[in-house]
Amino acid sequence: MNSAGYGSGAAPKNSMIIAELRGVSKRFGEVCAASDLNLSIGEGEFLSFLGPSGCGKTTALRMLAGFETPTEGDVLLDGEVVNNLDAHVRPVNMVFQHYALFPHMTVAQNIGYGLRQIRPRIPKAAIAEKVGKALATVRLVGLEDRRIWELSGGQQQRVALARAIVNEPKLLLLDEPMAALDRKLRKEMQIELQNLQRQLGITFVLVTHDQEEALSMSDRICIMRDGKIIQIGSPQELYDRPRNRYVAGFVGTSNFFDGKVTGASQDLTSVLLQNGAEVTGRAMAEVSVGQEICISVRPEQIRLCRDGEGESVVVLNRIFLGEHTEYLVMHETLGEFLVLSPRQSELNDGPFNTGDALSAAWDVSAALVLDRN
Amino acid sequence: MVKKNDYISKQKFIDELYRYKRGSVTRRHFLNVTGLGAATAVLGTAVPGLRSRPAFAAGDIGDRVILATWPNYHDPDNFDAFTEATGAAVQVNVFGSNEEMLAKLQAGGSGWDVYVPTNYTITTYVAEGLIEPLDTARLPNYDASAYDPRFSDAGSVDGTLYAVPKNWGTTGFAVNTSKTGGRAMKSWKDFWDITKEDFSGRTMVHDYQLTTIGNALKYFGYSFNSIDEKELAEAEKLLIDAKPHLFAISSDYQPSMRNGDAWMTMCWTGDGKQLNVDIPEIDYVLGVEGGELWSDYYAIPKGAPHTDAAYALINFLLNPEINAKEVLAHGYPSADAHTNKLLPETLLNDPILYPAQELLSALEFGAAATLTDPNRAELMARFKSA
Amino acid sequence: MTHGTRNLLLLAPAGTWFLVMLLLPLTVVLIFSFGERGTSGGYAPAFVLDQYANLPARWTAFKNTLTLAPIGTLASLVIAYPLAYYLAVKVDPKWKTTLLVLVIVPFWTSILIRSYAWIFLLGGRGLPALLDWVGIEDVRLINTPFSVLVGIIYGYLPLMVFPIFVSLDRLDKRLLEASSDLGAKPWRTFLQVTLPLSVPGVATGCMLVFILLMGEFLIPALLGGGKVFFVGNALVDLFLQSRNWAYGSAVAVALVVVMLITVTIYMRFINRLGVNREDVSMV
Repeated sequence: MNSAGYGSGAAPKNSMIIAELRGVSKRFGEVCAASDLNLSIGEGEFLSFLGPSGCGKTTALRMLAGFETPTEGDVLLDGEVVNNLDAHVRPVNMVFQHYALFPHMTVAQNIGYGLRQIRPRIPKAAIAEKVGKALATVRLVGLEDRRIWELSGGQQQRVALARAIVNEPKLLLLDEPMAALDRKLRKEMQIELQNLQRQLGITFVLVTHDQEEALSMSDRICIMRDGKIIQIGSPQELYDRPRNRYVAGFVGTSNFFDGKVTGASQDLTSVLLQNGAEVTGRAMAEVSVGQEICISVRPEQIRLCRDGEGESVVVLNRIFLGEHTEYLVMHETLGEFLVLSPRQSELNDGPFNTGDALSAAWDVSAALVLDRN
Repeated sequence: MVKKNDYISKQKFIDELYRYKRGSVTRRHFLNVTGLGAATAVLGTAVPGLRSRPAFAAGDIGDRVILATWPNYHDPDNFDAFTEATGAAVQVNVFGSNEEMLAKLQAGGSGWDVYVPTNYTITTYVAEGLIEPLDTARLPNYDASAYDPRFSDAGSVDGTLYAVPKNWGTTGFAVNTSKTGGRAMKSWKDFWDITKEDFSGRTMVHDYQLTTIGNALKYFGYSFNSIDEKELAEAEKLLIDAKPHLFAISSDYQPSMRNGDAWMTMCWTGDGKQLNVDIPEIDYVLGVEGGELWSDYYAIPKGAPHTDAAYALINFLLNPEINAKEVLAHGYPSADAHTNKLLPETLLNDPILYPAQELLSALEFGAAATLTDPNRAELMARFKSA
Repeated sequence: MTHGTRNLLLLAPAGTWFLVMLLLPLTVVLIFSFGERGTSGGYAPAFVLDQYANLPARWTAFKNTLTLAPIGTLASLVIAYPLAYYLAVKVDPKWKTTLLVLVIVPFWTSILIRSYAWIFLLGGRGLPALLDWVGIEDVRLINTPFSVLVGIIYGYLPLMVFPIFVSLDRLDKRLLEASSDLGAKPWRTFLQVTLPLSVPGVATGCMLVFILLMGEFLIPALLGGGKVFFVGNALVDLFLQSRNWAYGSAVAVALVVVMLITVTIYMRFINRLGVNREDVSMV
């Protein structure tokens, strides 16, 4: 755990640091959009800012791009402070939400825009060649002379991407790039983006509110709330070792049971749940006796059986998901919670039906003791 | 009398109202241009309390008489006296232009008993059958011999009397003598010559073809009313040569003369008098070559509803004692010798109101044909667009 | 009620408006233009081409109008664009409405009164007096083409500012960020993005001002001292002074024709720039 206390992931592993936020805050009048952000981005990394709207993720991105100047702290690119460097001189490009393509230019003119700004001028032929390559990369060959409004949403997105990568930026910033696409197209683009990133080796910084998108694409995710970074880590780290209830709830689904710490040993923490039951779990951060906490148990880590050890529950609802079945069960005192049961485990006494009385159990290691915030 | 504009737009009205408030125009000019006088007069009759009541029971002539005239052109006390004497209340309709008056009479049903046409329109009224011949027996106060015939001639057409003179006026020029460098300004030749020299950019001419072309013709000694092509061509050359030296072509010359932007302008008697009173170095000059002279008349339209009252009113206003009061009120000269005997010496000697006889004799009345001559209209357009 | 009748009824207000406001007066003017002047002024029925044959007599008025209208339009554009840009792009949004209202405030009073204010400002006791005071002597501003231009710019500024403001205000500010992000310096962003995308507003503003300028008569009469003679002034004189309705109508018809031709050429030119409304509304 580093000094900033975000968890293990505030710095990338095994790579050169290409961009950095050092104690960065941004205030708009009374509103604090970002406060004390500390983060290093490694070369070739795919990093995502994840959080609900208004959490400060876009502000962080815009400070990297140069559209906002931090109120406090420093933004570094390649080890140099760039706080007062305008966007047009930063070796950084952005794919905008809704793409912000120039409506008065053709596809090729849009893509070549960045190259045309370079002084001394690049020969026209060279620009055309680079534009052609970029078009090929995003698989839009043949659409050079189309007008923007003649393209589909997915095609516009590719143009936006091509317009940014053609400049070979050190950092490619993507602001909710897939928000406007339908679900199927989004899936395709996610894969394509990942491939593109590996192929080009450019550092990607993505802003999204879609946990699935962040989890599936990123090397590291930076979870934000109310202008603060809550936790940074790989998708797995965040899933397995969330720092608090907020992270556990944002990354995947979980069941939460409120309680109070009654005792803490080296590894295990005893908790008195509100229903009077005494359970044991693993603490993700320092806890003290008497602290109000919650226990988080992932649905897939709860086992259901007809007879056996565990809490007595009744099945309220069943959703068949193929490989898994999702049960909503009711406990007399703990209330409702979700169980994700793999097909295999049900072979003996499943499938369970609505109304069945069952036992639910989980391992001690599956019960995470988390801060309630 | 000569009208500067034949129309009034809403904007023009507001403009005139503002200038009126600033005091740069007289109430007369304001009402003249806006025609607001007509509106107030109508309002006056619509509200019974505002109407003057007869002091005694209505006499033979009826209880009212309707007068169509120009703004600020009468002494209201005289009307009260008339009502008191006869029992007939005087209802006044005020007009902005002769064209407007003519149109109203042509449309029929004006309801007027007496109106005040300007000299050059009377022949048209006669031709159109809109005017009643006058019976001098019913106008004992009208002594034709007492009038300067120049200001009474136009009242008779083909030997029949249709109108009797009210008052008259002239068109000359006003010049700021402090700018002339001692040069005496006496003629239209002086006017145009100095315009092209020392007064370059300081002279104004009327936006009115009758006077602007007429006074350019005067430079060559031609008739003010000329419609001769060769003479007009010479006047046009003079106008176009002078144009780059003009400050403005506008009939609204008082503000520019007062603030010093303009040093000289074509000018009507009343404006000349006002400028001279406020700024003594501004002189009113009648060109020695001549220029325009105009005269207003009293007449009775065909079909007047109260003919008796009409005769009574005209006769009353022609009474020298009453007429003298009128002159003192409106400030325009009368042509009646009996009236002038009653006026103060200073007024009669005022060179602006009563110019010297030799200057007067050179002046010409505007002619109906001149006013509507298409060639002169085209000349004016060429001059303004040059 | 049949479908047809209902459609006809729905069409009636627009149809009536078109008939009464546009077709009727134009028809009257057209009929008058083939007539003759009545003996005591006005219009006398006839079918002659004399009025049209006589059109060259007003050539100078047309020439003046066709010179000053484009110059005035261009001058208004040059002054209005920075103002509109400032209002749409630079101003704090909370002040935007206030400042916009300030742009229209002068429109609450008549152009005549505003022109009189300029008569004073440019007249001998206004600006020239001030210049005289600092040592620049005998400057004459009033009743010159310059003062007419000032009056035109001042009078028509809001008409130019508003369409440009709207097109700049609607412009997606992210496009400017995108341009900057792609390495364009601010002035290149302006030239390559802002300016082309505000062309529809500029085109609308220029068209409005130009068309109205073609019929202008008040400003040249007041601020030009009657020495600047537009077609509008020719019409005023023909209808109100010499009362030659037939010739006036022919001049009016000619003005409409000239306007149609100019506007058509202008539209062609704007369309050639390749920017249409659709482009801007898309973003």
